[in-house]
Amino acid sequence: MAADGGSSSLQLPCVFSPKSRQFLALCAQDGRLRIWNTDSKTLHQEYVPSAHLSATCTCIAWGPCRTVKEGPQRKKRKSEAVQVEEKADLLAMGTAAGTVLIYSTAKGALHCTLDGAHSGGVNCVQWHPEESLLYSGSDDTNIVEWDLQTGKTRSKWKADHAAVTSLCVSPDGKLLLSAGHIIKMWDLDTKEVYRKFTGHSTAVTTLRFATTRPPDSNGLYFLSGAAHDRLLSVWQVREDGKDKNSVVSFTLTDEPQHIDLVTSNSKEEAVRLAVVCKDGQLHLFEHFLNGPCKKPLSPSCTVQMSDTKESPIPIPLLAAVLGADTRTVMLAYGSHLQPVMEKVEINTAERHVCLTRDVQTTLSLSMETTVSKVKTPIVNAKSKVLVPGLPGHKAPLKGTSQGSEKRKKDTDTKEMSIAERLGEIDLSTVSEKGASKGTASLTTDNFAVLLVQGLESNDASILNKVFQTRKEMVIKKTVARLPLSAVLPLVEELTKRLQGHPFTAALMVRWLKAVLMHHTSYLASLPDLVTQLGVLYHMIESRVKMFHKLTKLDGKLYLLMTQMATSDSSNVVSDVDHTAKLVYEDESSDEDEASGDEGLPDEDSDHWEEDEAMTEDNQEESEDEDPGSRTESKANGEEDMERENESEEE
Amino acid sequence: MASFKPTKIQVYPKLGEKVTQDTLYWKNYKAPVQIKEFGAVTSIDFSPVTPHNFAVTAFTRIHIYGPFSQEPVKSFTRFKDTAYCGRFRSDGQLLVAGCEDSVVRLFDVSGKVALRLFKGHTKAVHLTDFTSDRYQILTGSDDYTCRLWDIPNATELTTYTEHTDYIRCGVTSKLNRDLFITGSYDHTVKLFDARVEKSVITMDHGQPVESVLLYPSEGLLVSAGGRHVKVWDLLKGGQPLVSLKNHHKTVTSLALSSNGQRLLSASLDRHVKVYNTTNYKVVHNFDYAASILSLGLAPDDASIVVGMTNSILSIKHRKNQEDSKEIAGQQRRRPSYRVFVKGKNYVPKQDDYLVSKPVKEHLAKYDKQLQRFNVSKALDTALGTYIRFRKPEITVAVIKELDRRGTLKNALAGRDERGLSQLLNFIIGNLVDARFTPVLVTAAEMILDIYQSVIGQSPVVDRQLLRLQDLVKREIEFQKDLLEVLGMLDTMFASSLPRKEVPCSGIATLDWV
Repeated sequence: MAADGGSSSLQLPCVFSPKSRQFLALCAQDGRLRIWNTDSKTLHQEYVPSAHLSATCTCIAWGPCRTVKEGPQRKKRKSEAVQVEEKADLLAMGTAAGTVLIYSTAKGALHCTLDGAHSGGVNCVQWHPEESLLYSGSDDTNIVEWDLQTGKTRSKWKADHAAVTSLCVSPDGKLLLSAGHIIKMWDLDTKEVYRKFTGHSTAVTTLRFATTRPPDSNGLYFLSGAAHDRLLSVWQVREDGKDKNSVVSFTLTDEPQHIDLVTSNSKEEAVRLAVVCKDGQLHLFEHFLNGPCKKPLSPSCTVQMSDTKESPIPIPLLAAVLGADTRTVMLAYGSHLQPVMEKVEINTAERHVCLTRDVQTTLSLSMETTVSKVKTPIVNAKSKVLVPGLPGHKAPLKGTSQGSEKRKKDTDTKEMSIAERLGEIDLSTVSEKGASKGTASLTTDNFAVLLVQGLESNDASILNKVFQTRKEMVIKKTVARLPLSAVLPLVEELTKRLQGHPFTAALMVRWLKAVLMHHTSYLASLPDLVTQLGVLYHMIESRVKMFHKLTKLDGKLYLLMTQMATSDSSNVVSDVDHTAKLVYEDESSDEDEASGDEGLPDEDSDHWEEDEAMTEDNQEESEDEDPGSRTESKANGEEDMERENESEEE
Repeated sequence: MASFKPTKIQVYPKLGEKVTQDTLYWKNYKAPVQIKEFGAVTSIDFSPVTPHNFAVTAFTRIHIYGPFSQEPVKSFTRFKDTAYCGRFRSDGQLLVAGCEDSVVRLFDVSGKVALRLFKGHTKAVHLTDFTSDRYQILTGSDDYTCRLWDIPNATELTTYTEHTDYIRCGVTSKLNRDLFITGSYDHTVKLFDARVEKSVITMDHGQPVESVLLYPSEGLLVSAGGRHVKVWDLLKGGQPLVSLKNHHKTVTSLALSSNGQRLLSASLDRHVKVYNTTNYKVVHNFDYAASILSLGLAPDDASIVVGMTNSILSIKHRKNQEDSKEIAGQQRRRPSYRVFVKGKNYVPKQDDYLVSKPVKEHLAKYDKQLQRFNVSKALDTALGTYIRFRKPEITVAVIKELDRRGTLKNALAGRDERGLSQLLNFIIGNLVDARFTPVLVTAAEMILDIYQSVIGQSPVVDRQLLRLQDLVKREIEFQKDLLEVLGMLDTMFASSLPRKEVPCSGIATLDWV
């Protein structure tokens, strides 16, 4: 079929560095490895593997923290031996091509490549906690043990019938868990199966040891999560070997994507667990691992995140790690291309917590930070990075250039000049075209396509979207780009929509005019033009029939409303002052007389009396019209109004 | 005695939306039941036997749903990878499904473990079906081959390698056990005959074929691919009959309503279109929330099942007889129809003396009030909530009748703030409706005349008057625009009628009217 559901391979690796949680390493859709500093919330390093498009990164694992001096035997590391602090340094990346890349964050460059052992894609990599060993599991059903000092394989053995999807080394470094569908526990000294655990029907994606106790004490527990499985199972490694079924299970809302846990060292210590599911929710669990528990455990707290719009859209959480105390959690959320990291205090007394964040603004944080290892990124203003996973989000992200960290320092000056050149090119194109013009043509192009699509499939939502445009130019261009075959359907659709409320129909008229303007010759050349447009013509004719009457009604309304407005204002100004009004009345008649004098200079004084009488009559009439209900002030207001109108006309 | 003439309610046709039998038929479904599956729903197949369960293939599972249950009655989960195309056999006992791992599995509907595994394809199998003799299986795969298998001993009978791209759809003949049709991404649809071991007819669809469908008579074939749906005449050797292009994205699934009168096509553009199979016009259109991958129609159109890319399965059930019975049950207390027609068809004999009794005419409430000249009350009745919102034509007709009698002024006068605001609300709501404008403008003018003196006393009424003013202003602007358009049209009509000696606009308009 044309489209498929998301499968587990779409999960993008996203890992916090151990101990201090200073870095977040994640591999985004574009195949690049980005390392974010969680303290400053900025991009620390970016690394583009040479084959990042063909051999995408499938898994990431941080090596154990070590002081830099600890490995004097590695020659390459010597140059960096200035730093003494214990720091997360090495990063192992498994790729779909079957190689494992070791990247050094201290150097900001590729440390070494381990290849030649796997024939299928690498699904998981795990570091040995003490020795410099690395384990990788692959689609070719093998597990390989790498020696990092030599960069060679130390041993390789077939683990399963199916692909090895997950691995985990026990905290003491003596046992290794591997899983395809069946979870196997290996003794690392002899490379023999120690235990087998069955129960998952789909590929196991997550394995973690939950306790640090030795295996023969009945106190060793580990947990496992599988693809499309909404349960995390906890298994007990028992001395008597009666460990066929999982002892505890945790319920989730979707398959687990990222897990962090605080292991327990004794029975009195609870295991704390933070699970980010594929649907972007975070679940926190706290449980004392002490034998089996029949009922699945539900989370003690669930955290969701949404944006601040009126109709909130959930923001997917990518990863979460637990802090030192029970309440702080470090979260990474948003898109893989530009995640936002935040340390939050969560009120674990609440079962459900929803955090709101304004991602639009946080996402558009500029990336121009000068970290020592990162070359200044060339910000290309024209390129837009579409962010999957955040529908409706249109704010363009600033993309960084391909400039990789691998370059030597002597190329620095050159690169700057390229950046400048690029900037100039951008500027010149923008100034030539004019930014607004460029975008408009883009939208009209889209609109014409959309409109044709909408007309073809009669899709109301698409048509509404197109017809709601208010920009005259967009309408014109869209109509101009319309293929001739779509003109008549458009006219029909417009005819339908013209009948509506004038608020919306006014927009339709614009469209109609644009169509008639642009496609005059086509329409006129139609042999059955009259029948085609007859309905439209009839419709318009019947509607404008009332133009006359409506205009009159409008006039009436206008008069009344203005009267009302003036009477209101006069009410406010002088509610009690009757004498003032009378004086005003006299003045106005004087004015009238004066204007009459100008027009007819031969008028007699007796005419003046008539005039006065007439104004009095007027006054009486207006009073008659409003029997009792109206105050005198109202009548005056009316007359004021009329007089004003007259003077305006003159 | 001259009887009272009830107010004539004019029925105005509304342009654009035609209510046809089809619209009524296809709208007669309940609100959809939505079920979240594990992944994109790629296939839906109805069991040919009652109770017509249907198999839904989504990700690594096949769920079988009953006609009414919202929980799967059965699910097959023994797939190593994404399953495809779960189909029932004609007796509803067996189910076959392909898989991404190239193994075809055959299940007993009541069992759980696969009865047979058919191994031989080298790539994902997207097409599986039973032949009409029920003992063979047709499969089509991404390795460009389609194969026939024997069910009892799970062996491959024939391999056809004529296609040059993925085979994604196909169907077997229900009448002949040797005929089957496959559609491929190489743009062709091929009719194979197992007796001659090669394709008999090849039809070029022009786009990658996503779905094929045979008419029950098996004389016509429908293929969908790209944005086109095409109908082919098999009896004429694969002659194209119709090409339909009503979707703006790829058409993914086809279905035929049970009586063969309507054809349904579903597409990635979120629509399901219903075509009349005599003239192939779209008669109805369903909208869904996401791109549609699969479509199933229960026998007798009892339910429409649609599977989408966002892994939601939407089931619409037809509103059935029980619902209408419930309504009947509420009205049961009234006397039956028989009582009313009692003696109506009695034919008088020759010597009978006929006493005619005036038939009592039923009048609507407002008519009764009009009859008694209670004009204000009649208008009040016509402005009742139900009539006002649901049947504004009645209100307008009453106003018109009052105007005709010359008593509209009386009816409108003497209202308090509430009554007046109600009236104004109605006018504001319906003034722009071209059908009602003449009557309502008159009424509005009268209202202004009557209440002129008290304007400004009630803020509610004032606000409404402002709204009315705004509305009228807009309408006038709009009509001005329309008049301009009218002028343009006149010009165009005039230029399109060259035979007239004096093509002035007035003549042109009169001519064609």
